Amino acid sequence: MSDVRVPLVRAEGVSKVYGTGALRTPVLHSVSLEVRAGELTLLMGPSGSGKTTLISIVAGLQRASEGRVELCGEDLSRMSESQVARVRRARLGFVFQTYNLFPALTALDNVAHVLRMKGASPREADATAREALTRVGLGDRAGHRPGELSGGQKQRVAIARALAGRPSLVIGDEVTAALDSHTGIAVMELLRAHVGPATGVLLVTHDHRLEAFADRVVEIEDGRVVGDRAGSFRATREEAGAA
Amino acid sequence: MRHPFPDDGRVRGARPMRHIALQSLLFDRGKLLGALAGVAFATVLLLLQLGIYQGFLSTASALLDHVGGDLWVMAKGTEVIDNGEPLSAGARSIVTSPACVARARGVVLSFGAVRKPGNALDGVQIVGFDPVTDGAALPAPTVPWELARGLPSDLHAPLRVTVDTTDIAKLHLPADPVGSSLQVNGRAVYVAAVTRGIRSFALTPFLFMELPTARRLIDLAPGEVHYWVLDLRARGCAAEVAREIGARAPDLEVRTAADFRARTQDFWVKGSGAGTALGFSALLGLVVGTVIVAQTLYALTREHEKELATLKAVGASASELASFVGWQALFLAVVGGLAGGAIAFAAQRSLLDAGLTVVLDAEVVVVAVLSVAMMCTVASLASIRRVLRLEAVEVFK
Repeated sequence: MSDVRVPLVRAEGVSKVYGTGALRTPVLHSVSLEVRAGELTLLMGPSGSGKTTLISIVAGLQRASEGRVELCGEDLSRMSESQVARVRRARLGFVFQTYNLFPALTALDNVAHVLRMKGASPREADATAREALTRVGLGDRAGHRPGELSGGQKQRVAIARALAGRPSLVIGDEVTAALDSHTGIAVMELLRAHVGPATGVLLVTHDHRLEAFADRVVEIEDGRVVGDRAGSFRATREEAGAA
Repeated sequence: MRHPFPDDGRVRGARPMRHIALQSLLFDRGKLLGALAGVAFATVLLLLQLGIYQGFLSTASALLDHVGGDLWVMAKGTEVIDNGEPLSAGARSIVTSPACVARARGVVLSFGAVRKPGNALDGVQIVGFDPVTDGAALPAPTVPWELARGLPSDLHAPLRVTVDTTDIAKLHLPADPVGSSLQVNGRAVYVAAVTRGIRSFALTPFLFMELPTARRLIDLAPGEVHYWVLDLRARGCAAEVAREIGARAPDLEVRTAADFRARTQDFWVKGSGAGTALGFSALLGLVVGTVIVAQTLYALTREHEKELATLKAVGASASELASFVGWQALFLAVVGGLAGGAIAFAAQRSLLDAGLTVVLDAEVVVVAVLSVAMMCTVASLASIRRVLRLEAVEVFK
């Protein structure tokens, strides 16, 4: 069934080399990856395996040395930097381990700002941001600054910021690494809820417990994809369907 | 799925960044106050140095400005109003002979010595002016121009002079000096009126008096003056008048009032090095202000690199990111500049009371505004460069 879903990311033969001459360091070796709508995909592997480099390339944050990347049907390899930025603005949301929230802004403003950047009017942005914060359970913390929030609450603000513009794909990097397991589960449930017929989530993680929320797990080692299997969430769903 | 905020290809520009930039600046009060103090300090220094410079210019040429006239006739080789030589009594008929001359007013200007109580000698500048009785069709300039007590007509009687409020203590006169006497060049003169804030560039007290009194004090013959100031029937005939006078009296020099004014200002302000010293102080203020503002903006930019990289990751354009620094620089320039301006204007009165003329006119304010704007622009360059070089991929590091 997953094979017919819309591909949000299609990377073919992607290689990445840093430096030149004696300092030449290959990080990715002809990696191919497809991330489909309707799926939460985990990209797992040991430190230095190239997983962060791979997501930054598929997100259009840096260029591949070789290969082709399509993001939401757009061929990034043929686009200028500003065109790629426009695709990111329209299609992507990001969540990071360290939240990356502006400390001077309230939770509401942190979320609303990205919406204003995307073209929403101030009133529209505020209303949508408030709604997004309510969805992540922080409706009553909208006026608080990040310094007044716990780590889990900050991550939920970051998720609200990523989801508020209804991106096609949310990309996350170790989103639960700084959180306790209970808060981590709550955060994953929020990301899981974003997965829909036209939307997906791609997360980089070391944490095998997150497989419970994943439809697919792609494993990468030494810059090569070494495994691509169903995650526990899909397996559980398929078992429930079979029963 | 229909996108709620579909990208229409337009770059949103700087406006969405204004809130985030200003909130970030206001959030860090310590840095904000430091930067505002830097801009205010630079603005105060700049305004006061420029104001003092302008004050020097206006003081140096005050007499010329207020006596007015179209042409000034003087002894050949005279470079500056304070260093004139007496013209013979016959010069008057020569300078009034061209048909275009409507009126000629005599001016005597000479340094003199005043003996103060206790026998101490000090310098004064004797200013003899013509109360103007001919050429009534033309308005008569009021000399002296700023009287705190008395009227110009109080100087009609012989040996009557004015002193300035700022020189009363220096000349050891009573608080109300009217009626007091002074020994000038060995002769007794009497204070009949008091001027307000009329000072020479070298701070030598001005004593205004009518021509006959001035001639008596410096032993000039009747009809002798240092300058003849000519009011013309038409300004266009100035060159013709100068040529006619030059042909009849080669030992006389004729200058336009504007030219003589510029020469006098150059002599005192540029020639004395005062202009250079003031310019250097103003520049120093700008450099200090630039460094403080640049440090603040750079520190704020570095502190927010992760967040700015996040915005770049979600598609912020280069101009949007640069405007993060731009709005902060603008805020510091406006608020710091206004604070500095308020302080400078408040200080102006105190400095005037202390005897220093500070002219904060539109010209000075415009130069200060442009300089502060340039200062904040220069200060923001390093931060803008850093922001523009920021890689979105930094968000994963």
